[in-house]
Amino acid sequence: MDFFRSLVRCVEMRFFRSFLFGFITLFCYLFFSPQPLTAIETGEYIAIRKQGSSKIALVLNKLGAKEIKDSSLVGDFNDVIRDGIDFTGLFSMISPPVNVNEYHDRDNMTINFDALNSVGSEVYAGGKVIEKSGIINLDMEVFEIAGAKPLLKKTYTGNQGQLRSIGHAFCADLVELLTGKKSVFGSKIVFVSNKTGYKEIYRCDFDGQGVEQLTNSKSISLTPALSPDGKYIAYTDFTLGHPTLSIKNLLSNRIVSTVKNGVSIDPAWRNSREVATTLSYEGEQKIYFIRPDGSVAKRVTKGTGIDLSPTFSPDGSKMAFVSDRNGLPQIFIQDIQSGEVQRLTFSGRYNTQPSWSPVGNKIAYTTWENGGEINIFTINADGSDLKQLTEKSGENEAPSWSPDGEMIVFSSNRQGKKKLYVMNSTGENQRGLLKMDGEQTQPNWSLFR
Amino acid sequence: MVSSKILTRNTLIPVMLFLGACCCDREVIVDSVPRPPASSPQPVVSLPPVALPAPPPPPLAFVGPVLGDVFYDFDKSFIRNDAVEQLKTNAAWLQENGTRNIIIEGHCDERGTNEYNLALGLRRANRAKEYLVKLGIKPKRMKPVTYGEERPFDDGHNEKAWKQNRRAHFVPE
Repeated sequence: MDFFRSLVRCVEMRFFRSFLFGFITLFCYLFFSPQPLTAIETGEYIAIRKQGSSKIALVLNKLGAKEIKDSSLVGDFNDVIRDGIDFTGLFSMISPPVNVNEYHDRDNMTINFDALNSVGSEVYAGGKVIEKSGIINLDMEVFEIAGAKPLLKKTYTGNQGQLRSIGHAFCADLVELLTGKKSVFGSKIVFVSNKTGYKEIYRCDFDGQGVEQLTNSKSISLTPALSPDGKYIAYTDFTLGHPTLSIKNLLSNRIVSTVKNGVSIDPAWRNSREVATTLSYEGEQKIYFIRPDGSVAKRVTKGTGIDLSPTFSPDGSKMAFVSDRNGLPQIFIQDIQSGEVQRLTFSGRYNTQPSWSPVGNKIAYTTWENGGEINIFTINADGSDLKQLTEKSGENEAPSWSPDGEMIVFSSNRQGKKKLYVMNSTGENQRGLLKMDGEQTQPNWSLFR
Repeated sequence: MVSSKILTRNTLIPVMLFLGACCCDREVIVDSVPRPPASSPQPVVSLPPVALPAPPPPPLAFVGPVLGDVFYDFDKSFIRNDAVEQLKTNAAWLQENGTRNIIIEGHCDERGTNEYNLALGLRRANRAKEYLVKLGIKPKRMKPVTYGEERPFDDGHNEKAWKQNRRAHFVPE
């Protein structure tokens, strides 16, 4: 009782009151305030998303303009940046509040962080487009809203024809800033289309824009694979009347081909100096390493049966591939150094088309189901965590991962003809990638940025 | 009114022909029944009675072995019993055409995935080649290749089409 009486007397003292009040405030601030985004020591900024939310809440403000001759330029930049950010599926876009910008005089504009805070956003991005004698400058700023902390201030430069590249360069920086990971911007997808009446190889941007034809064999060109540095494609080439491995330099258009007897099927790059492919010249269809000049370096797989469709772990030390050594085709993993082989797939009677994620230990592949459907699955390299990504949608084939491991491009005939689709690596948000005549198959997503 | 020129031409020519026919010093046989020699004073050269050779047989399709396709079961590459006859015929062709080489194309139906079908097609071509080797054909005369499901014979989407596509096709080089 005495203790309480003395406590009350203390509280009545003003000094003690202020102290107590301060202490309680500090206590509340430390333990009850919303988790801030934090930076790590390396200087890279990694976003720690709010608990329970998987997306980053972003306000992307409309761009301002200065001395712009072509007024549609600003609108185009807005579209390129918004569509690009949207494509990644990493952000939930929050509309900027009406009073997001405060104008103190003509050239002095500040950002109203209180207003941004009140709409529940974590990050603000905005900027302006300036044109100076034909050169476009995109000035962008990114802030963490809590604390009005500047995260990025950068100018991107180019000419009017480079609008997409300029906008995407900013998007790439934004994504890498907030996730710490390589982004899809600037990456390319190669694929096969029979639009001309022949199966030829094409390339497009990650979002399906900018389609270009890469081969004109007027024969059959299949299974394209971009080299990690983006300079070459390796593919299965029927120009000589039987499938050979061709490697095309995309700058010089020079082609080298393997000249072994027999056939070559379905190449993949282990790194920028080694291509793996199936060759039949020694009798059985086995996987070999080929040098970029087309010469054979060494044989990789052993035993009887057909081995094909190699795909490599990010460090190149392991190879997943298809083999029918046990009967119908299944997927196996071989350690390149030791030569040891382990079977990966036990579920499903016909498993092919493996693709190893460029960022980790997940492998996507397809199962040809008993009913005739073909579905895409992902599995860890140790065989755990099997997940089905497509169902009841016809034949879904040839999955290939985006360079950040967040998305998968694939070919599907769910609406009739075979077309290219993309989805998140969880299987969510499956949507068409591009509109093109004919059928599109065998997509391959590049690694480089 | 018909011009006199045309009239002249239209009568003159038949008359000339008629006269020419009459003046033939050889009988014009108009049917296959031999006619008794005419008793006209016109000189008739009668051919000596010769036994006509038997009429040549009607022209046949090319006689001799012809290269033909062999067919396979779904997902399989073994040589079926009904393929053996055709393979023997193909071997006979190769023997008759001893200087010719062939390409053996392996094909698949459209089901399954394209890459594996390329490999399966090659396996089918290899099996056909192995059988022909057993029948005595030198291996280096036969080059197996594959088209997988890329060059179907019938681009229908049913078993009637698919069974025609699961084939080895033999092409002289």
